[in-house]
Amino acid sequence: MANRILPLELIDKAIGSKIWILMRGTKEIVGNLRGFDDYVNLVLDDAIEYSPDPKDKTKIIKTELKSEILLNGNQIAVLVPGGTGPPEDSLAAKAR
Amino acid sequence: MEEPLDLIRLSISEVVFVKCRGDRELRGKLHAYDQHLNLILGDVEETVTSTEIDEETDEEIVKKQTRKVKMLFVRGDIVVLVSPPLRTG
Amino acid sequence: MSSEEPKAAADAAPAADAEKSKRSPSDFLKSVLGRPVRVKLNSGIEYRGVLACLDGYLNMALEQSEEYGPDGLLKAKYGDCFIRGNNVLYVSTQKRR
Repeated sequence: MANRILPLELIDKAIGSKIWILMRGTKEIVGNLRGFDDYVNLVLDDAIEYSPDPKDKTKIIKTELKSEILLNGNQIAVLVPGGTGPPEDSLAAKAR
Repeated sequence: MEEPLDLIRLSISEVVFVKCRGDRELRGKLHAYDQHLNLILGDVEETVTSTEIDEETDEEIVKKQTRKVKMLFVRGDIVVLVSPPLRTG
Repeated sequence: MSSEEPKAAADAAPAADAEKSKRSPSDFLKSVLGRPVRVKLNSGIEYRGVLACLDGYLNMALEQSEEYGPDGLLKAKYGDCFIRGNNVLYVSTQKRR
């Protein structure tokens, strides 16, 4: 029982490395994880935001966020710690 | 000002601008509020903005509908922004 | 955010030295208070202004704020404004102003 891993311990191990975040809806974000709290609000460096073009849903807009951000945890759906970003066949990868 | 709600507290009895979800904007006198941002506004002007796409020209048509309401209650969860309207654009 | 927090953070500073790379959301928020910030909402609207104060819900009061549409164009200016925290996607520092 004692050596069971808590979900947030996995995220803690990802501090200082890249993390891939899938938001509720279609937005995805990749960045360097600096820290987080119990609500899974994240502090990220060098984040890149991928979201569909509102005018043409088949296109993805890639935005580089040049400064540190605090990402609100309440819209986060999935975290991929150590993830280098969207896989090649994903929608977001087309923007790279 | 110590916490964000102080800004709302200081706007009591003033005309405020409230931006809501669903492209809805309200301007009216702030009578009351609570911690959820539920609001009571008086002498309100409501503006609802909608866009349609013209099938022929493929251009966006922006429609603004306004109406006046004597008194209304705004449920806090649809509130996006509240501002004293002095310098709103 | 209790008034005790800044003191507690100061006490913890030597210990935090060992984990220099870590930066919690509350560290971040303390460091941006009173500074120019960009606040992006889930709707795609972005606000730029000076962060006057905030609470645990990420409700914020901004001064000298500007509203930008998802297209990046300036839509409105507000002297002061209150932003309800549930709409916030992220907060970032704003280097130029």
